[in-house]
Amino acid sequence: MTTQEQIQVEEKLRKVQELYADAPEIGRVALKKGVEEGLARELAAAMQRESAGRIGARQGKVSELTAIIPLEPGGGKRIRGLLDLLGGNFKGADIVGTLHDMRFVLLENDTKLLFCTAYDGEWDTYIDDFATKIPTSMDILFCNCAGWPGISSPKIKDWIVSHQLTADAWYVASPNLTVAETKRLEKIGAAVDEFLDKIG
Amino acid sequence: MSPPKVELHEIQATVLRLRPAPYYGSHVLFRVDDAKAGHEFLRRLAPHVDSAANWWKPADAWISVAISYAGFKALGLPAESLQSFPEAFRVGMAARARELRDEGVNDPKNWEPLFGNGEAHIGLNAFSDSMEKWQRIVEMAREQLRDLHGVRVLAVQDFGMQPGDRNSLGYKDGIDQPAMEGVGVDPLPGQGNPIKAGEFILGYPGETGVPLPMPQPDILGRNGTYVGFRKYQSRVGAFNRFLHANGKTEDEREFVAAKLVGRWRSGAPLTLAPDADDPALGADPHRNNDFNYAGDTHGRRAPFGCHIRRMNPRDTQLTRLTDVNIHRLIRRGTTYGKPYDPNELSEDADNVERGAIFLFISAKAMATMEFLQQEWIDEGNFIGLGEERDPIIGRQEEGAYFTIPKEPVRRRVHGIETFNVLRGGEYFFMPSLSALRWLGEFQM
Repeated sequence: MTTQEQIQVEEKLRKVQELYADAPEIGRVALKKGVEEGLARELAAAMQRESAGRIGARQGKVSELTAIIPLEPGGGKRIRGLLDLLGGNFKGADIVGTLHDMRFVLLENDTKLLFCTAYDGEWDTYIDDFATKIPTSMDILFCNCAGWPGISSPKIKDWIVSHQLTADAWYVASPNLTVAETKRLEKIGAAVDEFLDKIG
Repeated sequence: MSPPKVELHEIQATVLRLRPAPYYGSHVLFRVDDAKAGHEFLRRLAPHVDSAANWWKPADAWISVAISYAGFKALGLPAESLQSFPEAFRVGMAARARELRDEGVNDPKNWEPLFGNGEAHIGLNAFSDSMEKWQRIVEMAREQLRDLHGVRVLAVQDFGMQPGDRNSLGYKDGIDQPAMEGVGVDPLPGQGNPIKAGEFILGYPGETGVPLPMPQPDILGRNGTYVGFRKYQSRVGAFNRFLHANGKTEDEREFVAAKLVGRWRSGAPLTLAPDADDPALGADPHRNNDFNYAGDTHGRRAPFGCHIRRMNPRDTQLTRLTDVNIHRLIRRGTTYGKPYDPNELSEDADNVERGAIFLFISAKAMATMEFLQQEWIDEGNFIGLGEERDPIIGRQEEGAYFTIPKEPVRRRVHGIETFNVLRGGEYFFMPSLSALRWLGEFQM
């Protein structure tokens, strides 16, 4: 570590101690222990924040999209019903090829939707493709959101941004593995095993 | 339901009319110092701009006129009109460098000083099939500046086809253009189903069924389109050194050169001529593009990462949900400078003034160029190639390689460099003929 990095870490340590000055007893004790156990290393390893384009965070090739969206009257009931019928199975999303995961959580008596996803690249790059390739699925699901302009509307990107919140912190284990790359590695792994089985 | 007829008599010829062969021409950039003089210049030019009516018939010489955002400002367009242009157009190509992946050697700070600073206001493009008619039409265009103070020529870049109909790296180019609906001509074999006119010209439904937003007022936007202007310098020495490092004989070098592009230098596609060049095939517009990749799903003929398979994947299985039809551009490629010579190997040969200037035309040229740069040019993920980039127009990092699928195992050729360096670029709006006249009569 250079002297300058050392100074930066010490500054961070001072700040975190300041933040925790009025924390509950359990937190103050834990922080003290944390400092002894090497919190400085963690702080020194902190990475620069990356943006996923207009909004959202990004780590390597993976980006996050988090949105809290008010629903149309009756929209919550429809989404809950639809998700139940799908049995939580979104196999159809495979076709998109960039989605690592998706989470739907209905909030506040089913009046709002929390939607979270991790995906490859920048989302707005492929919005037009959604509009021509899977407009029906998109509109069936998201028509329940208040003010949904329709996936084909020129206003769609602004609408999404208006509901999106950038994650304050986010962890990705393999920031350089896209969904396509993961599938490729799975295939290679299987082929190697098959090969080893044959010669072994 | 039949598609809406495109108003060809309103659209500038260059949008649809193909480059003649041979071709001669110039790109001329103007700066407008005085708005009134700018209007007068456009008023004088307008009657000399060909429309796209009967665009399929050969023509001998024509000009097109396009205006940048800085140009519209200099012409005194009202604020609400200026605001109606898409953001990427308003801030300009240089300011979108991050989205366009114009970084490193392609960073706007390394561009020719002419570009990226809001100086280029009007772009005029002249095409001709003969040297004499070309010079005459450029002279005619410049003549319109006579006694006009307040508009000046910033730069003139002449271009022309190199011997044998080749570009600056020695290939026949400009073969595969998207087919469009409602323009009065059936697609050429292999062009695929015609794409909705609204993808290329404002005022018509696009592939989503909805027209794209137009700049306002209506008379300004309708039948207009956007042009991405990009000037590349070809590093011919680096390209030839790469071929020599990967091919001991001329045949081996030509094989690698064909694999990079997906076509032999003659234009013959590897999909139809996998083992040896077929110049007659390359020269025949009814055959040289008549293929898909159904019989080449492993990329053993045309590698997945080759230039033409990236720029138009056709029926290739992509890793991401993609509508190939909405990421196409009409290209008017123009080659400038010293002709390609396969024997030039020196580093000096990299710095010779030669290369290609492209006009990329689309009703959403800015979004499409950003998509292409991010996804299909400076990436490989969409086609299962990780970080591999387009070997011809990609910007390469240290250690770049190119994968050639073959039996029993793939071959990787190393030492790929940035063979075409971006020297500058601008976005322009190419208005309809009515819009040009409207701008010419504009009262501030």
